[in-house]
Amino acid sequence: MLPLYGFVEGDTIGVLILADETESVGSLAGKLREATSLRVDPGMDGDIVYEGTALDPASTLAEAGFRSLQRFDLRRKNGISESRGA
Amino acid sequence: MLKREEWLPLARKLDWNFSFTTEQEVFPAVISGQPWLPHAEWEDWDEAFKTSYREYVENQHEKDAAVYAVRDAVGRLENMENLATPWINGLKVHAAALALAEFTGTIGNLRGARFGRDSAWRAMACFGALDEFRHTQIPLILMHELVRWNPQFDWTHRFYHTNNWFAIAARHFFDELTLGQNAIEFHIATNVVLETGFTNLQFVGLASLAREAGDYLFEKMVTSIQTDEARHAQIGYPVLALVVKHDPEYAQYLIDKWFWRNWHMFSILTGVTMDYLTNAGQRSSSFKEFMEEWIVDQFFRTLDEFGLKKPWYWDIFLEELDIYHHMIYASAYTYRATLWFDFVMPGPEDRTWLSEKYPRHWHDMEAVWDRIGARWSEVGPGSDNEMFVHATALPTFCDLCQLPLSAGTPRNNTANTLTFEGRNYIFCSQPCRWIFLREPERYAGHKDLVKRVLSGEAPADFGELIGNYFSLTPETWGKDLHSGNYSWLSKPRSRAH
Repeated sequence: MLPLYGFVEGDTIGVLILADETESVGSLAGKLREATSLRVDPGMDGDIVYEGTALDPASTLAEAGFRSLQRFDLRRKNGISESRGA
Repeated sequence: MLKREEWLPLARKLDWNFSFTTEQEVFPAVISGQPWLPHAEWEDWDEAFKTSYREYVENQHEKDAAVYAVRDAVGRLENMENLATPWINGLKVHAAALALAEFTGTIGNLRGARFGRDSAWRAMACFGALDEFRHTQIPLILMHELVRWNPQFDWTHRFYHTNNWFAIAARHFFDELTLGQNAIEFHIATNVVLETGFTNLQFVGLASLAREAGDYLFEKMVTSIQTDEARHAQIGYPVLALVVKHDPEYAQYLIDKWFWRNWHMFSILTGVTMDYLTNAGQRSSSFKEFMEEWIVDQFFRTLDEFGLKKPWYWDIFLEELDIYHHMIYASAYTYRATLWFDFVMPGPEDRTWLSEKYPRHWHDMEAVWDRIGARWSEVGPGSDNEMFVHATALPTFCDLCQLPLSAGTPRNNTANTLTFEGRNYIFCSQPCRWIFLREPERYAGHKDLVKRVLSGEAPADFGELIGNYFSLTPETWGKDLHSGNYSWLSKPRSRAH
């Protein structure tokens, strides 16, 4: 199990997402969208950003180098916000 | 017979030179505080407002009599039932946070009464301890009346005895501020930062809103408390003056650290009540305006007076002043069953007012409230549908302030991670990270709620977490005051921006 801190652009709070190293970045995005859908439109067109890099939805979390208790973001494509690293 | 002006100085300065022990043994640095200086440096310690025991008792007797007279006149259940329901829920927040926190102030003052470095300081701290004990008992007795009417008022006493997430944060704050603190840091952090600044916001700003809301009992309670605070808060200034003289960098650190910690705690306690749990027509000023009047101006004057600088994070603070408590309130609304008071959605009149008072970021908050409103419209109003308009993913918390990761803006949450001595930490903001790194030995061992869940110390199941760990029941957990039944919800409304 890989506990991660997920943040969606436009949301007011981060949430804990429990993931698996073998699951895809796209699957992780789905979990985050669902977890925050009460506050942010889950249909938002966005990228998963981890350590400053937008990730391929098809890659696995292991391939993308995810580590436990780190932050990841769902950010709007062509977003208007500046990046905010850890 | 000596006149008052002649004998009071004799009764204030009572120290003598030790012969069978040493100053270091009587006043060890670990509990008296740093910088450790010989008494010769402290012997001119002087409080601005001087009082004797007899004067103290007479004044306190009169103040107590006035509070209880107001209670007898306007503090009955029928009076409370006439108040606006959002305001009553703001009262629940303050009653819970206030009473036992004041008792921790008793302990902190007693530490000053024993380990303060001059007899006049110790005497004033004795009075301060008695003050705080009074401030503990007044809300406990006033709110006790209300428990039979609404069980959420039981949290006036219960709050700090639970593992509710906000109680974890409040204990983390007060344990450090008052219970586990040396005399010097206690008096600077509590008297100079909290009581001169932030409790003015509470006891003066909020008191004026209480009057507007028709809650004369709360107004009387907090203004009565404030008269005590104004006296004993003066202990901190001569303490700060000597620390500035001997170790200005440390003095600056204490001010910077405690301003930030107070800011986060009070922006929730007071900001939420002022801007959301007070009816739109009864708000004389916004939380931000109260902050600017009672905190920012006052704080600048204090810094100038002591030759200190603005905290390095001042721009971050000004940014948060526009948005932090809004992010907290919207988040908390979607997790309302994790708290012991009820919530209300801001309606069109509120949102227009909020967009005027907070023009920089309100449009982002508007989008969040629209989304929540759309969910209510989708499922329909009613108490049976409460949990369909409630989040279930575990919220996350800062490893310093223990408050939700709701800092920055909705576009750029400022949460940031740190690996320190093999453990992972996350902070809501750069100032919280900075405080942690200045004193990691003090903070690193504390587990936030997420770490407690991951280690099995707290249940991962959300229902069990609310019931078994947060100590809430269907009767007491927070709900939407109107069960989503807002006349304006189904109507299309235009965005403020």
